Amino acid sequence: MVDAHKIEDDLVFLNGEALGPEEAVEIQEHVSPLSLYYKVLSALFVLTGLTYAVSYLDLGELGLPVAMFVAVIKVSLVCTYFMHLKHDDRYHVFVFLSTLLFVGIFFTFILFDLSSRDRLSDEQGTFFQQRMDPDKGMPSRQPGFGPGLTPALPPGAAPAATVAPEATAEPAAEDKAEHDAGAH
Amino acid sequence: MSSHDAKAMRPGAIDPPMPLAHHFDTPGQQAGSAKFGMWVFLATEILMFSGLFLAYFVVRMLYPEMVLSSHELLDKTMGGVNTVVLLTSSFTMAMAVRAAQLGDQKGVVRNIILTILFAFVFMGVKYVEYTGKFAHGIFPGKYFDYVAAGEYAREHGHVLAGKPHIFFGLYFVMTGLHGVHVLAGIGVLTWVLLRARKGEFGPRYYAPVENVGLYWHIVDLVWIFLFPLLYLVR
Repeated sequence: MVDAHKIEDDLVFLNGEALGPEEAVEIQEHVSPLSLYYKVLSALFVLTGLTYAVSYLDLGELGLPVAMFVAVIKVSLVCTYFMHLKHDDRYHVFVFLSTLLFVGIFFTFILFDLSSRDRLSDEQGTFFQQRMDPDKGMPSRQPGFGPGLTPALPPGAAPAATVAPEATAEPAAEDKAEHDAGAH
Repeated sequence: MSSHDAKAMRPGAIDPPMPLAHHFDTPGQQAGSAKFGMWVFLATEILMFSGLFLAYFVVRMLYPEMVLSSHELLDKTMGGVNTVVLLTSSFTMAMAVRAAQLGDQKGVVRNIILTILFAFVFMGVKYVEYTGKFAHGIFPGKYFDYVAAGEYAREHGHVLAGKPHIFFGLYFVMTGLHGVHVLAGIGVLTWVLLRARKGEFGPRYYAPVENVGLYWHIVDLVWIFLFPLLYLVR
């Protein structure tokens, strides 16, 4: 059967490289040395231990960036060596990185919108009939559950007249949706 | 075509003949197309999980206290053990691909069996975790039992704040979808194992081993992010 796929063209492009008829029959694959796999695995274990240990320290605001930084290093190790991206067709790297680019766009736009719309509304003078503190948004159906489960409205505040009656009785999951729906 | 040749070879043959579909010019083109297709599929997988990760970050941004108090109920050690198990399984998967590249038939079979075993260990730990949560009324979404979960938290010196059912909804959906991927991985790994036992893979043809390996590594990648976000971050 070897004859059936004998290369008769003068030039064949394989993994982006022009190859002669002889070379094109072979699959151009890189075999990594065994020691590399052991090194990568140990590095992954060390980094896992590191995130685990760091989680017992109280880093406050830094906790999330540090954990994400270590996770990104781990992911790059797995992609580069276990998934062979280092020695693979560069087009696969392009597919992978462009996916990450689109994930980045997705994250940036939505998180930017959610984190800045309150401030923008304030600047424009947009008035929300019902604004709930995220931690005080739970209806008081489960009293005594924790500090977060105080009634939706502070004792002194008069309920806004135009809020639909069902809005306050909605389950907490819809707080933000309600809040957003109120924007004009 | 190739099966006839394969039978003529001794068991444990180093380099079985490579099947080349008629619509490909070269084995390199064939392997490259398979791998490219796999990478496009992995891109869709990443995008699918990214929606859940974004949901996590949004919930975390809007309800930080709730996320930070709820995640204390998850068992860091079990999550850590599962991380080590999954990383090791990724390693054995990479070793299986390497064995195929080198024509080590027994190595392929051995490493794929190890990978499947690690996948089962992972699912076993997940089973223990899930049943432990269910026993204390921690169910996703509207099935969340506030009284039982609140008592369980108090026993462990934590106070649940805000809307823990949302956090656990995310927890169950994210780890659940990941678990479904692990189960699917066990399925495709078994398929590759059966083919490897027939000695179908060698240095010239190992695209199925490699592509299943790529899928398995993506499952590992998702867990690398899930573990710190759900279990560790405070």
